[in-house]
Amino acid sequence: MKLLTHNLLSSHVRGVGPRGFPLRLQATEVRISPVEFNPDFVARMIPKVEWAALLEAADTLHLVEVPKEPIQGYEHDERFLRKMHHVLLEVDVLEGTLQCPESGRLFPISRGIPNMLLSDEETET
Amino acid sequence: MQRLTNDDPESWLNAISIWKNLLELDAKKVKLSQKNANPLKRKVGENDIIAKKLKTERMQEIQEKKECQLEKQIEEETLEQGNFTTKRDKSQEELQNGGAEAVDTHNQNDLTFRVSCRCSGAIAKTFTAQEVGRVIGIALMKQFGWKADLRNPNLEIFIHLSDIYSVVGIPVFRVPLASRAYIKTAGLRSTVAWAMASLAEIKAGAVVLDPMCGLGTILLEAAKEWPDVYYVGADVSDSQLLGACDNLKAAGLKDKIELLKVSVIELPLPSESVDIIISDIPFGKKFKLGKDIKHIIQEMERVLRVGGTIVLLLSEDHQRRLKGCEESSVPLNSKGSRTDKPGSTECLNPEGKAAISEPVSSSFAASNQECLDRMPPLGSLVPVECYRVSLGKTDALIYKYKKSHSPGQ
Repeated sequence: MKLLTHNLLSSHVRGVGPRGFPLRLQATEVRISPVEFNPDFVARMIPKVEWAALLEAADTLHLVEVPKEPIQGYEHDERFLRKMHHVLLEVDVLEGTLQCPESGRLFPISRGIPNMLLSDEETET
Repeated sequence: MQRLTNDDPESWLNAISIWKNLLELDAKKVKLSQKNANPLKRKVGENDIIAKKLKTERMQEIQEKKECQLEKQIEEETLEQGNFTTKRDKSQEELQNGGAEAVDTHNQNDLTFRVSCRCSGAIAKTFTAQEVGRVIGIALMKQFGWKADLRNPNLEIFIHLSDIYSVVGIPVFRVPLASRAYIKTAGLRSTVAWAMASLAEIKAGAVVLDPMCGLGTILLEAAKEWPDVYYVGADVSDSQLLGACDNLKAAGLKDKIELLKVSVIELPLPSESVDIIISDIPFGKKFKLGKDIKHIIQEMERVLRVGGTIVLLLSEDHQRRLKGCEESSVPLNSKGSRTDKPGSTECLNPEGKAAISEPVSSSFAASNQECLDRMPPLGSLVPVECYRVSLGKTDALIYKYKKSHSPGQ
């Protein structure tokens, strides 16, 4: 699971609503692998990023050199884009958990795939 | 038939020279790399589009007295990805044996050929396929001086006569259009998957979700064609996700497509966070649809942003259920749906939204218009286009919707 994905996921436990975001990340196995850098793609993702959530996740994974916020003219700033590219796309959580901040429910991540299936009682109508 | 065949020798010769050029391209590429012809497919697609444009201009001049219209066209990917039945697909597979070895003939007169014919519908009652094949074959021999070779011809001419169209074509590929080297285990037929992806208006930087991705076929096709996009696939089944994982690895697309184990009726995504949704809704034959289709569409509608596009592959059964729901106020919920309250309307209330029908620019406008008319609006999802496709044994419908506003407004 990449951090770009983590940035999008929110808990759907009954009654939690928007307080189900962001999910607290715990990782036991992380893989950093190079991904082809596509500045256009990264630039387009920047406006969609929830920064607080990203910084929190990056912190948990002890990542360094993570930009704190988008800078002016980021679309053309290669250094900035490369750092974002690394954080969002090159860090893959293979094993770990995601925790709903409101209900405490734990969702396991296994082989890089988060399992967010809820039981019948837990789902919102 | 003879008259139609001999009417316009020019277009025959043009078609054949284009076909030869494509084969030479093929032969060169094969020499360059031992990999499959997939990169070639994309390129050939482009050439074919140009060829098709030229041909259609010529087409207008051809007179027809019969009800069916005789179109001469090269079998190509663009047509395939439209709204055609896969009868042609099957025939293509049958025609593989004829194949298209690199043509070394310098002179068109040296060509050996074979005519393969298939008749269905009303015309099948008047003629057998062999008769039609023979008539056309003889006409061609007289016209061009080609020799017939039934076992191993250079050129294969394929004819399909049905109630809807008459097609004369020359197969260009040795393998079915749907074959993909990068898919280990195929789910949905790749050509249909590509067609759905191309209808979805995928643009760079979009977030594309397939909430019932299965083996990931649709996402694979989309990611190959539109790479600068963030793809997410979801499924409830472990085995499917494992298969999808394998497919992603084989295709080298592990970095482009993320997988989630989530249920389509409880997507752990914020509302209006996804730009595009493309999905093949289980028909119930291979995989069971545990949930009600209306709930599924409601959840998809929730996560889709306003102005976003949704493209679905539905069975006729699904269509009936959706339509039935819109017309009656009695909820058509499947048994065991625990969220239902007796007497309440779970149907998506169209709220008087009229269907917007955009002009369908294909030669099957009539049947598609009828299809479009039967598309119900679903909440804030407004129908845009509808195509009927054949999946071999069954027919299916591709529905395209756009989200016009947030529900509740």
